[in-house]
Formats: sequence, structure tokens, C-alpha cells
Amino acid sequence: MESVTQDNPAAPAPVRSEPEPDSSSASAPKTGWLIEWFTHWSIERRVLAGFGLVFAGIVVISAISYRNTAVLIENSRLDTKSHELVQLLGSVREALSAAESGHRRYLVTGDESYLKSYRTVVEQMPQYLQYLRDLTNEGAEQRERVATLEQLIARQLGAEAGAIAKREKQGYEGVRGLALSGAAKDEIEAIYRLMAELDMAEQRALQARVAQSAESTRYTIALLGLGALLQLVLLASVYFLIHHDVAERRRVAAELQSRGELLQAANKELESFSYSVSHDLRAPLRHIDGYAALLSKAAGETLDDKARRYLETISGSAKQMGQLIDDLLVFSRMGRQDMLRTTVNLDQLVKTVLHDLRLDLQGRTISWTMNPLPNVSGDPAMLRQVFINLISNALKFTATRPEAKIEVGVAKRSPSEVEIFVRDNGVGFDMQYVNKLFGVFQRLHRNDEFEGTGIGLANVRRIIHRHGGRTWAEGALDQGATFYFSLPLARSPK
Amino acid sequence: MTALRPILLADDNPRDAELALAAMEEQHIAEKVVVCRDGAEVLDYLYCRGAFADREHGNPVVLFLDLKMPKVDGLEVLRTIKNDMKLKPIPVVMLTSSREERDLAKSYALGANAYVVKPVEFHQFIAAVKELGVFWAVINESPPEGPGPIE
Repeated sequence: MESVTQDNPAAPAPVRSEPEPDSSSASAPKTGWLIEWFTHWSIERRVLAGFGLVFAGIVVISAISYRNTAVLIENSRLDTKSHELVQLLGSVREALSAAESGHRRYLVTGDESYLKSYRTVVEQMPQYLQYLRDLTNEGAEQRERVATLEQLIARQLGAEAGAIAKREKQGYEGVRGLALSGAAKDEIEAIYRLMAELDMAEQRALQARVAQSAESTRYTIALLGLGALLQLVLLASVYFLIHHDVAERRRVAAELQSRGELLQAANKELESFSYSVSHDLRAPLRHIDGYAALLSKAAGETLDDKARRYLETISGSAKQMGQLIDDLLVFSRMGRQDMLRTTVNLDQLVKTVLHDLRLDLQGRTISWTMNPLPNVSGDPAMLRQVFINLISNALKFTATRPEAKIEVGVAKRSPSEVEIFVRDNGVGFDMQYVNKLFGVFQRLHRNDEFEGTGIGLANVRRIIHRHGGRTWAEGALDQGATFYFSLPLARSPK
Repeated sequence: MTALRPILLADDNPRDAELALAAMEEQHIAEKVVVCRDGAEVLDYLYCRGAFADREHGNPVVLFLDLKMPKVDGLEVLRTIKNDMKLKPIPVVMLTSSREERDLAKSYALGANAYVVKPVEFHQFIAAVKELGVFWAVINESPPEGPGPIE
């Protein structure tokens, strides 16, 4: 009681100090919350988040690189077109100038052979113009220029055709003025100017594209470098994680092995210990009992009642210790013995147990309540020991009752587990000693009230624990006791 | 014939030996009991050497053999006996404190004829030894003297 009152004044101190960190952390609540949120993550989640981040980075980089490469391909296609256009413009210029000089020569000389190249140009011009239109179909400015160019060319060729016709009808005199300057002097100039414009515009576009491509290429290379770096990081962390994991596994395996060896050694030691207990401890007991018997036989006549009682006590104690040793050995064997795992029919098991205990039932009035029990998974011999111990306990502690009431049944059942109870109306026990019930050599009754070594319930607990179950008990003084244990259910349905 | 042949009792513990003798006295077979204190003595007796060099030749009617003995232990003695064509016919009864399964298994594997755990309680011990003595020395037909028909 005193220690409680001493503790009390110390208790409120941490409560008062708590608001302080709250108010100070209010200035940066967001980052603190985020960090706290992150530190709550498990290692697996953190690793996964890291991988996700790196992976997302790689995906973004790949997408950008893909888009840049597409632009490069498009630019290179446009470049090819531009080069073709520039080349075509040269050809058109050449053809037009050939037509012009051809028609002029004809105007001067009247020689029909000069008209041959003119006619070829006139024939080819629609093709040239179609080609021009195709090459400039992607830019509005250039398209307009080409349209103007077409009109100008048509006018030039028309004027020239007119001059040629006039020469044919009126002879050289009719075209004297034209012969020197040419029929379409103004148009030719305009055409050349326009073509130079076309050429210039195309060259400019080409240069711009080259610059754009170069920049885009540099950008892509940088991005790919970054991607490679990220992949390296990913690879390195994967390697590190695997390496770490493998090393950890190896370490654990080695530790397990060394522990297993230690355990095996300890088990061996325990075995030799129990062996020497069974062999060496029993011999002196046998001698005590034996010589006491020999003594009482040799001097039986001369001994008085008191001395005879002493001898009987010596014998009784030796026998009791022999029983204790035997029980302890059984208990130790229960812990070491290999365990079977089969389906056990508990109804059948309880029947055989009652048959085995029939000698203890003689002269007793007992009202049995045997509820149906399920099949469980376990070792039949060990579980038999559990029921023998619990039922003989119930029999023992109801011995003072005119009518003993013993009930066996299922307390609770889940899909994987069943809780079984053994209840009696015997002398019961005080719940404050419930923790001692299942201990080795723990007894709640004096030896002259109820005999026994106090190992039965310890054996029950050990067996049930080895089956993966639990044991507990409820009771009240003079109002009976109920012992519970849980067992895993058999897998096959009953 | 059989009544004249001795019973051999091997026990390193003089008290156990005395108690066994006390039990056999009641059956009047104690005078035929030869007590050996360790495994080496048992072998000396069986091969008529050492302290038993000038004993009357012939095998004992039965050997009560303790497991845990100094010098040569019970299992070793058992192995020697069952590997010797001349000694093999001797009935060997293991009389021991050990209830350990491996002792049981080993003893039977080596050819023990019976395995008896000494009870702590004297009356039970007396009863066990009496019955054993009477069974092996009186009721049981002993193997014939001398080398068996196999040799």
C-alpha cells in the first residue's frame, strides 16, 4: 500500500510535460506528420515505395525519349523534303531559263530547232508544278508562294507562246522588239525573285530544324544517361537487397544449426540425467525399504508398537519417494517422447479410460454425464493419459461426496479448435491458487486428505501444450472444479 | 542334476545382492547362489579363470545380470555370452533398476532371455526374486551340459 502512495506524485509529471512538444511541433506539422507516416511503414513497404519511385522515373524518361526520337524522325523526313524542294527549284529555274532562251533564239533566227527545248519545258512544267505543290503542302507561306509562282510561270509561258505565234505569222519584223528582251521579261524577274524567296524560306526552316534536332538529341542523350543511372541504382539496390537477404538467411541457418546442436546436447544430457535418476536413485530406496522389512522380520517380536510404526514410516516414505521418481521420469519422458499425429476418436477414448478406471469406481455412487466429443488430431496414448489424469482426479476429489457428479463435454468449438471440460462436484479449490494447479509437484491438499504426488495435472499441461493447446481451470472451495483444455480439431469432418 | 548347478547373481551393489539372497533364502535356493561384484568377475567365473580357476566346470543354471556395473557392464557381459557358442545356452535374466526403453531394446537385441525391473518396494522385490529363482532354477528345463549340437 505504501509503495502505491509513493508512486502517485510521480505519475502526473509526464502528463504535464506532454503538451510542450505538441506546441513546438505545431510550426512544422506537415513534414513531421509525413516523416512519422513514413517511419511507420514496414521495411517491405519502404523498399517497394523506393522501387516504385525509380520505376516511375524510368517510365517517364522512356516516354520523353520516345517522343524526342519521334520528333527527330519527323524532322529528318521534313529535311529530306526541304532538300528535294531546293533541288527542284534549281531544276525549275534551269528549265524556265532554257525555255526563255530557246524562244528568244527562235524569235531572232526563226530556226524551228530552237523551239524543241521550249516545247519540252512546256510539256514538263505541269509535272514540275505538281511536284512543287507536293513538297510544299505542309507550310501555308510556301504554299502561297508556289501558287503565285504557278500563275507567273503560266503567264511567262503564255507570253512566250504568243510571241512564237506572232513570229510565225508576221516574221522577224513582227517581233523585233521582243526578240532582244524576251516576251516575258517582267515575269521572269518576278519568278526568279519568288524562287529565291522560296529557297531562302526553306533554308531557314531547315536550319531551325537542324538546331532543334541537335538540342533534342542532346536532351535525349542526357535523359537516357539519367535513365541508365536510375537503372543502375535499381540494379544495385536489388543486388544489395538480395545479398543482404541471402547473408541474413545464411546467418539464421547457421544459428539455427548451432542452436539445434546445443539443444541436442542438452537433450542428451537430460536423458543421461534421467537415466541415472532412474537407476541410481531407486537403489537406495529399495535398500531402505528392504532393510526396514528385514529388520521388522528379524526383530518383529521384540519391537513395541512405537518402534514398529517408525519402521512402517520408513518403508512408507521410501515407497512414496519411489513413486515420485517414477512420476517425474514419466513427466520427463512426456516432454521428450516422439509424438504421433493421427485422428483420435475422443468418445471411444473416454470409454476405454472408464474401463481402465473401473477398479476405482467400485463401491462409489457416481452420476456420469458424458456429452458427445469430436474427433481431434493428436497422439492417442498421450491424450488417453490426459483423460485418465483428469477423470481419476475428479474421482479422487469427489470421494467425500455421497453422490459424485462428473461431467465431460465440449465448452466451445471453433472451426480449428475445440475446448473440452471435465467437471466434478468435489472439494474444489480456491481460485487464488489456480496458478499452482498445473505445476510439477504442486498440491493444494494435504497428503492425509487426498493422496498423490502432484504430477498428474503437470503431465496434462505438458501433453496439451505439445498438441498446441491450452489448459486452465475454474473452481471454488467445496463447490467442485472444472478443468478445461483445448485441442486442434481433426482435419477430416466428423 | 539341475538342482546341483549354481545360480549366478551379478550385482555391484552388496545390499541389492543381500536383499536378493534374503529373498532366495525363503525358497531355500540361496545356498546355490554365487555372487559376482562386477562384469569382469562374471566372465572370470564363466571362463573358470582368476579367482574361479579351480571351480567345478559347467555353466550356471541361470544368470541374474545387473546392467550398470563397474569394469565390464551388463550389456558387455551379455554380448560376450551370446557370442560364445559354449556360453550361449545360459539363460540370462536382466535384473536392473532401469526402466529406460533403450536398455530394454538393447538387452533383447543382444539375446537376453528376460528383463525384470527391480521394484522399490521390498515385498514386491522379494516376490519378484522368489518367482524368478523358482522359475529359472526349478521349473525351467535347463539346456544340456557341454557344447551344443551345433559344434
